[in-house]
Amino acid sequence: MWKRLLLIRGAELLMFAVLLALPLAVQNNYLLGLLTLLSIYGILLIGLDVTVGYLGQVNLAQAAFLGIGAYTAGLFVTKLGAGFLVSALAATAVATALGALLALPALRLEGPQFALATLSFTALNVTVLNEMEWLTGGAQGLSLSRPPLFGMSLSARGFYWLCMALFALVWLAMRNLLASQWGRAFEALRDSPIATDAMGVGTYRHKVAGFALGSALGGLAGALYAFNFQYLQPQAFVYELTVILLLGVVLGGRKSLWGAFVGATLVALLPNLLSNRTLFEFMSGAGFLFALFAAIRGLLRKTMRPFQAIAPVVATGVLVVGGLLVSNTEDWRKAIFALMLFSVVVGLPEGLMGFAAKFLSRLFRIPDPPPPAPSQLDGVLPPRRAMSGGPLLEIRDLKRHFGGVRALDGLSTTVREGHIHGLIGPNGSGKSTLVNVVSGLYTPSAGEVLLRGQPLPRGSLFETARTGVARTFQNLQLFTGMTALENIMVAMRGNYRRSRNLPLVLLGLGRTEEKQAQADALALLEFVGLGADWRTPAKDLTYGAQRFLEIARAVACKPAVLILDEPAAGLSHPDMRRQMEIIGRVHERGMTILLIEHHMDVVSELCNVVTVLDGGKVIAEGTPGEVKRHPKVIEAYLGEVEAGEAAAETPAPVPAT
Amino acid sequence: MLTVSDLHAGYGLSEVLAGTSLEVKAGTVVALIGANGAGKTTTMRAISGMLRPTKGQVLLDGKPVQGLPASRIARLGLAHSPEGRKVFGPLSVEDNLLLGAFRRLPRFFGFHARAARDLDRVYELFPRLRERKKQDAGTLSGGEQQMLAIGRALMAQPKVMLLDEPSMGLAPVIVQEVFRTIRRLKQEGMTMLLVEQFAKQALGVADYAYVMERGRIAIEGKPADLRRDERMLAAYLG
Repeated sequence: MWKRLLLIRGAELLMFAVLLALPLAVQNNYLLGLLTLLSIYGILLIGLDVTVGYLGQVNLAQAAFLGIGAYTAGLFVTKLGAGFLVSALAATAVATALGALLALPALRLEGPQFALATLSFTALNVTVLNEMEWLTGGAQGLSLSRPPLFGMSLSARGFYWLCMALFALVWLAMRNLLASQWGRAFEALRDSPIATDAMGVGTYRHKVAGFALGSALGGLAGALYAFNFQYLQPQAFVYELTVILLLGVVLGGRKSLWGAFVGATLVALLPNLLSNRTLFEFMSGAGFLFALFAAIRGLLRKTMRPFQAIAPVVATGVLVVGGLLVSNTEDWRKAIFALMLFSVVVGLPEGLMGFAAKFLSRLFRIPDPPPPAPSQLDGVLPPRRAMSGGPLLEIRDLKRHFGGVRALDGLSTTVREGHIHGLIGPNGSGKSTLVNVVSGLYTPSAGEVLLRGQPLPRGSLFETARTGVARTFQNLQLFTGMTALENIMVAMRGNYRRSRNLPLVLLGLGRTEEKQAQADALALLEFVGLGADWRTPAKDLTYGAQRFLEIARAVACKPAVLILDEPAAGLSHPDMRRQMEIIGRVHERGMTILLIEHHMDVVSELCNVVTVLDGGKVIAEGTPGEVKRHPKVIEAYLGEVEAGEAAAETPAPVPAT
Repeated sequence: MLTVSDLHAGYGLSEVLAGTSLEVKAGTVVALIGANGAGKTTTMRAISGMLRPTKGQVLLDGKPVQGLPASRIARLGLAHSPEGRKVFGPLSVEDNLLLGAFRRLPRFFGFHARAARDLDRVYELFPRLRERKKQDAGTLSGGEQQMLAIGRALMAQPKVMLLDEPSMGLAPVIVQEVFRTIRRLKQEGMTMLLVEQFAKQALGVADYAYVMERGRIAIEGKPADLRRDERMLAAYLG
């Protein structure tokens, strides 16, 4: 445990110690300027990585937030005579507010539309800075002098130490955030936004908060940028900078603090790279050799496809040859950025740090974290208490139309507390629509659903989950990249009180909750028989184990009603037995379950009551034995074979029929 | 018609198929059964070229096809109806079917006459699809989508058809219909490799069956023999 901490934290400590000590050892103004820029861009790129890496959205607005922060700080200093602290705080606050404002509409969009929205914001920002001459000085620019900190004026070296200290603090805060429930929520919503909402975590609000946080760091970096250059021009914050910043994050490696650091180094060095011919030739040559080496190795070991291997070699080759031919590399900078970005995206999709991490993990074997000790199950999933058996979930005259299709056509039924209530019907009879309306994925056209007499929220998966309805999905919606344990922890909303508060999380005050949540999640994993797989990524679990995990995750929400949408679909015989046994044990602990299933024997064995749907209406309801003999059910659903077996009252064979 | 020998394949570093061998003779139906994660779907994907096998041989009508892109293998006469159906949701039922015959039909002249004849054959097999030919495939029920997936594969007039879990998530009455269709196709002489969770029904239509365990064929034989096999009874037939 200690060795692990030492290895991971040691590298960070060492880096910051060296960076802070460097100006003492080397008295070189040029180097000091570069290092200052490195720390500023480091903060900026960590902020950008929140959206690009963790939220998985192409964000083209980070240059604008740098500009907003820089101008806010600049104006606070020049117009109001504010000090360092006040103007830096103001810059961060303004960027946060504008970030949240942009995020509210923009994050309703996905993919290219989001990228376009942020790109327009950048364009808008430059125009505003240019045109509001009375405030910003327009294209003339804004000059300022570096404000004092607590009345002390800052030397170049003092300013550098301050910037680097801030970078270290941001790094630390971000690591706290990523190790918390927030970091997991970011991870989860990228894998499956639907499941994230269905666990009551709230995709949208996390996205907006994440974007605002990234913008805040952009604003802070902007203030430092203004104090560093002491001269601002709107042209500095156009989309060209956006592309460079994106290049920095992608080249450094997404979803990585170290990646942001490597990217910041690149961004800080770029202007020098372009003006210094020898340096450019050296760097592009090194890139070419690296690409060539990686290509040969990848092709020999068959770990890379030919295109992926050869394209970066060609692109970097063009850079080297082009660099020799053109007279002024700076005129060609956009083409150069394009070639670099292309090579990286194709050849190193995980960035330099992603590549290095694989390499380093082979050199230093970081020991695996020890398994947490599981909690007592009773604390996580309380045993059955006295049940009234009264109505828990009431569905009243529910309708849902799609165009002319009446998927639900006035459906009413009641799920009683402590029951397993089966729902069967032919394909297209409205089962899935019913589940989707009850769980809030669809808005009903008419009618209502009551939980304990209170109407459920309409058309919000997230709100409905918070009210006490948890569900699984027919086609599995696990957070595939996360471990089995983390999948469950995402759903343990009840465990996290302090961690809802973003500032407390940034300060690292959520650790105790994290320990408890781990222990509780492990207890649930053991409950479904996956205790040994706690560290396995969900995508590497067998299909059956994935189904078991999804149930455990839904149970972790501590719902009043658990909706299982075809939990045995595609399971082979032994896995199906195990699944039935798990559902039985969840029920034994007093869980009320609404079960949609096609395997009649699963339904017969588990359910207290079965509702049969056809054409969006209830055609029969009763005990499994009753509905099996119902003539309408035989005609619409079971067919002759099943009905024959039911009549003969053979003990249900599984999987079979 | 289809011979697979010592097939290896996997995802990333994990090897799923560890030397699978099987044979499907012309005009027969062969069932492939086994537990979840045994490698049934991976076998199908490696045969049809959706996944590149790392080792081994796939002979389609005597010609080696392993390592070829999926589109080439499809043109050589292998149709794959994938797990989860994968119909083109926003396209109409008829367009879905026509895409199945995309490589075969003439581009311009004579398209309509040929297409109409081929469509008629599928519609005769699945009258429900004719009723819904203008409807978007995504709005069909699960059972209808499965019929569409099979129909689309048939439109290619393949030499061999791979059917991956055609009964998944379907109501019992529809499952029976799917198996009736498979029986009928068999009578018409179609060669099929069928992956199924419903081992009993699969054995009911198959001429020969293989049982997979951990990436290899563990048991094989005629359905009548497998039904008596004790290991089969315990693990798959219940």
